[in-house]
Amino acid sequence: MNVFNPHRLKTPASDDAWLPSSCALCYGTCSILAHRVEGVVVKIEGNPDSAVGKGRLCGKGVSGIMTHYDPNRLHYPMRRTNPKKGLNEDPGWKRISWEEALDEIAEVLRKVRDDDPRKLVVQRTTTVTASRVPLHAFASAFGTPNFSVSGGGQHCGNGAHLISGIMHASWSVVPDFDYCNYAIFFGASKGHSAGHASCSNMGKAADARARGMKMVVVDPLFNFAAAKATEWVPLRVGTDAALALAMCNVMVNELGIYDGPYLQAKTNAPYLIGPDKLYVRDPESKKPLVWDNRSGRARSFDDVPAADAALDGEFQIGDMPCRPAFHCLREHLRKFNPEWADAISGIGAATVRRLAKEFATEARIGSTIAVEGVLLPYRPVAAIAFRGSQGHRNSVYNFYAVDLLNHLVGAADVVGGCLGFNPTSHGHPETGKVRYLPRADSDGLMVVGSWMGYHYPYPPVEPRLPRNLGLQDLFVIGMTSPFLDSTDREEMWEKFEIPYRPEVMINFGANLVMSIANKDAVAASLSKYKFIVSFDLFLTETSNFVDIILPDCSYLQSLDSRSNFPFIFSLPAGMGEWCWPVRQPVLPPDDGQRPFVDVLLELADRVGFRADLNAAYNAWLDLQPPYRLTGDNRYSHEDICDRELKNNFGAERDLDWFKQHGLIKWKKTPEEVYWRPFSDVRVPVYWEFLKPIGDKIAAIAEPRGVKIPMEYYEPLPDFLPCRSHCCAKAGFDFYGFYYRDVVHTNSFTMENPWLDEVARIDPFSYAIAMNRAEACKRGFTDGQPVWVESETGRKVKGRLKLTEGIHPEGLGFAAMCGHWTDGQPIAKGKGVFYNDLLELDWEHASPVNINLDLCVKVRVTPAEGLS
Amino acid sequence: LIASADGLVVPLSVHSGIRWDAVIAPRTASIESARPPATCTVVSRSAGLIQVHVQLFGALSALSAERSIRLNLPTHSTIADALMAVEQRLGGAFRAQVLDETGAKQRHCRLFVGGYAVEDLQSQLDGATDPTEIEIILLIAPEGG
Repeated sequence: MNVFNPHRLKTPASDDAWLPSSCALCYGTCSILAHRVEGVVVKIEGNPDSAVGKGRLCGKGVSGIMTHYDPNRLHYPMRRTNPKKGLNEDPGWKRISWEEALDEIAEVLRKVRDDDPRKLVVQRTTTVTASRVPLHAFASAFGTPNFSVSGGGQHCGNGAHLISGIMHASWSVVPDFDYCNYAIFFGASKGHSAGHASCSNMGKAADARARGMKMVVVDPLFNFAAAKATEWVPLRVGTDAALALAMCNVMVNELGIYDGPYLQAKTNAPYLIGPDKLYVRDPESKKPLVWDNRSGRARSFDDVPAADAALDGEFQIGDMPCRPAFHCLREHLRKFNPEWADAISGIGAATVRRLAKEFATEARIGSTIAVEGVLLPYRPVAAIAFRGSQGHRNSVYNFYAVDLLNHLVGAADVVGGCLGFNPTSHGHPETGKVRYLPRADSDGLMVVGSWMGYHYPYPPVEPRLPRNLGLQDLFVIGMTSPFLDSTDREEMWEKFEIPYRPEVMINFGANLVMSIANKDAVAASLSKYKFIVSFDLFLTETSNFVDIILPDCSYLQSLDSRSNFPFIFSLPAGMGEWCWPVRQPVLPPDDGQRPFVDVLLELADRVGFRADLNAAYNAWLDLQPPYRLTGDNRYSHEDICDRELKNNFGAERDLDWFKQHGLIKWKKTPEEVYWRPFSDVRVPVYWEFLKPIGDKIAAIAEPRGVKIPMEYYEPLPDFLPCRSHCCAKAGFDFYGFYYRDVVHTNSFTMENPWLDEVARIDPFSYAIAMNRAEACKRGFTDGQPVWVESETGRKVKGRLKLTEGIHPEGLGFAAMCGHWTDGQPIAKGKGVFYNDLLELDWEHASPVNINLDLCVKVRVTPAEGLS
Repeated sequence: LIASADGLVVPLSVHSGIRWDAVIAPRTASIESARPPATCTVVSRSAGLIQVHVQLFGALSALSAERSIRLNLPTHSTIADALMAVEQRLGGAFRAQVLDETGAKQRHCRLFVGGYAVEDLQSQLDGATDPTEIEIILLIAPEGG
């Protein structure tokens, strides 16, 4: 059962040790071994004993040593002396002591908590997943609901995690690489770049390709996944739903291939839908009805054997005509014929039909396979989507349409199909912890067993007049919100009668000025805060708005008891092992640096809410007696980690045990990995809940002057154009978009000299990719400096890289470059700051999940030299 | 025939018409039996009162001058009864934050009885400890990334 090979740990007579820990160069949080010699880390490798990475480590991970030892790291607290805040204002940093810093911060926090704790906004980067619980606990204990993850969610999660949660009970999805034979990636790079379980997935994806898995990559860019794929399908930016819906139509209406028994038993496809587009319900039990083919009458969904529930037909219940949801879906799909999809997406009708046929036939509907002696459904196809499909105003329908491909053929959480990341855990065999299972609500639909927060994807909570600054309690499908920083935030808060305004921010590691949208919008928002304190490794562009900056410890100096929990986040999906690694300090803090968690604990003591913080930790970590934190006792972070580990794995496996072993692991069972047949839950192929939610939101919003476009709240998916698709301005003939660069994480890693060197060698990392033929038509040349201008007049400058590997109308920007702060001299002046082209307001957010529209119609013009 | 990742060559039963709800019936029972015991059990008491201390944390703590609200409730009282008693003391603001419009517990409201999480408000307070400690805290709902 256990784990790390201790013979690699040498006794530190002379200090020479390999220490197991966890990476933090991206949120993948792969397990590492850090080689420390005489107090200096000289090498970082993947930990082969861990299921998280299995010994692999990407270029970012091995380069982490350079981030840690960067001479530009912050080493002492600083206070600004210039009261004016602005993008070009020098804060006039003055070194202060920790005592001075904590005194001032505590005083500010005490006052705002006494006044109205909701005026505190807590903000974190998604890169360091270990920051989630300490900052959530701090905010909950303080009493504010206002929490944000900067660009995370608005750029890459509000759509992806929503659909994965509703349909797969997980944060993300991935092909079951061990068994999948045919995978379609829509704007996703799982297994070929960064992200959840990235290094594990790289190995699995490579093995799958070697085994013969066909991989089709649908993306405007010939990206990292496409480079390894069998086929690249370059579609027009933001039209994923059009292609996916046309494929669904071909499968259902032209080929007649779909998994009827799956749809009957595991989805709401048989539920009867009335003329109002809602379920027809039993008048007494209120349960949705299905048509029982055997008895010839409507009965509650759970009273009818699945095989007897009608999927097609028109029925009459009393005076009410009704049809099964699948019948509605089938009819709805007819309008999405491949010729229509060609006009929208640029993918020829013949290709659409071929892809649909390949996917449907490769699914081998009706087949089974034995895995470790357990007979299971076998559907070796998967369609997945991520950031590419997400970054649009229509992201909900993009994902809904793509995932329908899986559900039509029953390829959801079965062998070879599209898998959620570990939606079901039966717990450690000795302690039963941590155990969770998806469960059914009263309509029989699936509710997640584990989630990252308490904003479950389904069922949505009731919309109400909002009290959160992000308005998520009105736009209840959304998670991270643009309204903390948007140009219309004050207007929205006024309209929705928010009775307070943000005054104080605690920021952990996020560079908000660069990570959300155009810098002017975010700068205007930040400059209105009365006080901002920020934990950082380096000065960033956001530091210009900070009052007190606190030097944080790097991941090599930090402790975390749950590097890869929840398991739905970045533990590899598929068969293998459950694995619970920890992060431990390999090096001590340098003089003047303190771990942010220790600082938060001390602030709670100084402000006087330690009892609340203890209660919050109990709740976030699910601590049970005797490991619960009690009263206002001053537990250290080490104490809390120790208690969590013992709570989950028994008294003998305390923090010291984990520091020695690095992790604990145990075997997954087929019943956990391929849980769908074992769990009596259904998922919605007809999103009946959307329309009532939209109606309720409109009832609150429209009297206050915010029009809700109800076409986004229809129960079946459609292709709805982004703002960029509607731009008819002359000369604006490219769709700008940014994509993940495999060697970079957001804007954070740009300061790393090894990664910078790689990026300078890579012709794309710091350039703007343009289709070579289109460039020639316009007289552009490789390496030419250009201006890229949005239709609202925002401009960025960069050099072109011409390539055949991009859609003719696409203009691709790698990662999030273009730093201008002196605090990061390696990063300064490299690449292009794409986000500066993005608008930040209600008009450019999804009306459903409030993620930002990240594609921009742009004009490209020659520029004279680059500075 | 198709080779699986673990090297097995297995027959494909393409036309088996396998039932989704029948594939795994034999092993379902063993999974269910692994469920942990309920954390809030019913203990019969014929008469009398149980003492309940309700502790409010985080945003809820502002609703009351005292950290701990002391209640005497009839035996067989449920958690919902305890919340109603707190609401009577603190007013509608407490209810609005803890319960939704249907009277169900807000998802981001965590409630612990004797240190164990409880979701079902109809669970009876067993009075096994004297007093019975209820802790309530509102957590952050949204998470992104």
